[in-house]
Amino acid sequence: MTQDPSAELEVDDAEWLGQADWVVGGEAARQARKQGLYAGYVLLLFSGIYGFPVLQAIFRTNDRGWLREQLDSPIGVAALVVAIGAVLGAAYWAGRFRGPVVPPLPWIDLVVSTPVDRARAVRRWWRYAVVGGAFVGGVVGLVVGSGLAFAQVTGVVAMVVATVLGVVVGVVGARVWLWAQVRSWPGPDHATTGPSLLWRLPDALRALHAESLRAHSANTSTLAGSAITGNLRTARLSLTRPITHARAVRLRAGRPFAVLVRRDVLGLRRQRVDLVAGAGFTVLGAAVLIWGMAQPAAPSFALGLAMVPLYLGFGSWTEGLRLQADNIGTPALIGTGPLTEAAAHLVAPTGLAAVVLGLAGGFAPAVWAAGLPVLALLAGGHLLAAFRGDPPATMVTPQSRLFWYAMPSVTVVLVGAFLAQAYRTGNPAPEAFCTILVAAVAAWGVSRVRRLTYRHRT
Amino acid sequence: MARVAVLAGEVRASGVGKSIDTTTLLLPTDVAADPGECVVLRGPNGSGKTTLLRIIGGLLEPTTGSATIGGRQADERDRAIRAAVAALIGVPATYRDLTLIDHLVLVDSTWGSDPNTSDDRGLALLEELGIAQLHDRFPHELSSGQEQLFRLALTLSRPCSVLLLDEPEQRLDTTKRQVVAGMIRGRTGGGATVVMACHDPALIEALATRVVDVVPAR
Repeated sequence: MTQDPSAELEVDDAEWLGQADWVVGGEAARQARKQGLYAGYVLLLFSGIYGFPVLQAIFRTNDRGWLREQLDSPIGVAALVVAIGAVLGAAYWAGRFRGPVVPPLPWIDLVVSTPVDRARAVRRWWRYAVVGGAFVGGVVGLVVGSGLAFAQVTGVVAMVVATVLGVVVGVVGARVWLWAQVRSWPGPDHATTGPSLLWRLPDALRALHAESLRAHSANTSTLAGSAITGNLRTARLSLTRPITHARAVRLRAGRPFAVLVRRDVLGLRRQRVDLVAGAGFTVLGAAVLIWGMAQPAAPSFALGLAMVPLYLGFGSWTEGLRLQADNIGTPALIGTGPLTEAAAHLVAPTGLAAVVLGLAGGFAPAVWAAGLPVLALLAGGHLLAAFRGDPPATMVTPQSRLFWYAMPSVTVVLVGAFLAQAYRTGNPAPEAFCTILVAAVAAWGVSRVRRLTYRHRT
Repeated sequence: MARVAVLAGEVRASGVGKSIDTTTLLLPTDVAADPGECVVLRGPNGSGKTTLLRIIGGLLEPTTGSATIGGRQADERDRAIRAAVAALIGVPATYRDLTLIDHLVLVDSTWGSDPNTSDDRGLALLEELGIAQLHDRFPHELSSGQEQLFRLALTLSRPCSVLLLDEPEQRLDTTKRQVVAGMIRGRTGGGATVVMACHDPALIEALATRVVDVVPAR
């Protein structure tokens, strides 16, 4: 059957979508709504049971007057702006490969590809995302605001202000997330995907390309599948861009250990994003560590907080270590033993982190003293992270799997906070205990290398 | 520096089989290959050729029987076995931030070869496989056939006395298959033992000193 070119096709969006819903989407949409409501319920429950008491404990165990002063100071405002900027930046980053609008593949193939107004065809998923963003933002704001208010750091009005601010950040974050999804499609129409799409919502939804929706849907499956099977390499590769930089630079041959170190240095030259991101995180972590260790009034939770960017920074520089772990179970290509190879892959990140922490030691001598154990802790933590392997078969719930993946970072943050606190007080007994703790983490990492390297055979 | 025994390329697999629960992946099979030989494993898809190669390479423990290399039990946890066996079984994970020549220099260097001539060896290997012009490409910039040639280059760039190959002809055109056949013949001529799974009758005809038919479990 052919169409008359002069005729017009009448499309009743509501009717078409109603029929499509009845045939392919209805049950899936109801399921998605149920899952969303359940996730919201769990978040609310966990915020009440864990979030509020933990924040209370942190605020109450620190100098309230000092905290109040910081909240009113330009530094406090700047920290808030940076935190909001980081949330929006993260939303943009995530939107490049997994945006807020991800309908199921049958819906994309059978409904989105029809002449129905695309804004209406995908609006449901956008609404899930924006409501989710507002809800999460609101809950976080409420927990922080009520934590401050109940600890008598601020007045009760802070609860309202923080909740409203959280909702606003959640909504704006969802819009930035969507904008990044629109721009993730490498089509020639980037001139029409400028920042104005942030407030022209229907246009933003109409600008979503069907292929882009498919790609984001596939990325979602890849990420979920990687998390379930423990195949993190697949997830990592789906999040990275292909490297094409500095191809003319050659890896210089040499002794086995040296050439492995040079491999990592060359890799960082070619992946400047990782190099810069690692430097940014490490400098941020070192700055917080200087503040936490040099300022007597600084709250002790700052020391644990400093470990988060330090851990992330170190991780940005350990691609070689992760690839060694990825290669386990394949025939040997590299001539050195697994422990020698792992040690070589730790040289570049440890060296870079040592430079930053060494400079930080110039600002706070306590950082200088704690530098070596912190470096050992980071190296041990990343051995654990790279060689943690698949979650045990007994871990079937999302919470237990999340715990499995977070285990190395949580270990580094907890031990690191304890370690930094010990060096801040300068008491030799806790310092000695921390040295034993760090050695235990490093030994744990080494045992994971051995275990994962040899376990696959059976 | 640890001292590692250099093993002769005598491959013996005696009644090796593999089952997982009630599923049989490989029926008990015998393989014997001596230095300078090329033994071809032949059989339909799913008959267990790859499983057999993994057992011979010490990557997988057999449920029945035993496999040895140079008289030692095939277990890749043994450094001597790792030093003896080079294998292309499955897809090796490559570094996305290294070019082809960088990969070959890295592998060559970690086996303690002369660093002064490492680049030359890498380029010669790529030249032999007809992909020297791609030396500065990253692995993600290759076609599937070029990728297969690169994997072969990676495997052949390390020293070995036993070479295990799982369908080296995959994705290659007739000319390239002949090139690969020439290189495998070169390895056996140099005293290496080659055990490979193969579906190409021409390649089997050209290389096999012995053929082992792997019988499917069902």
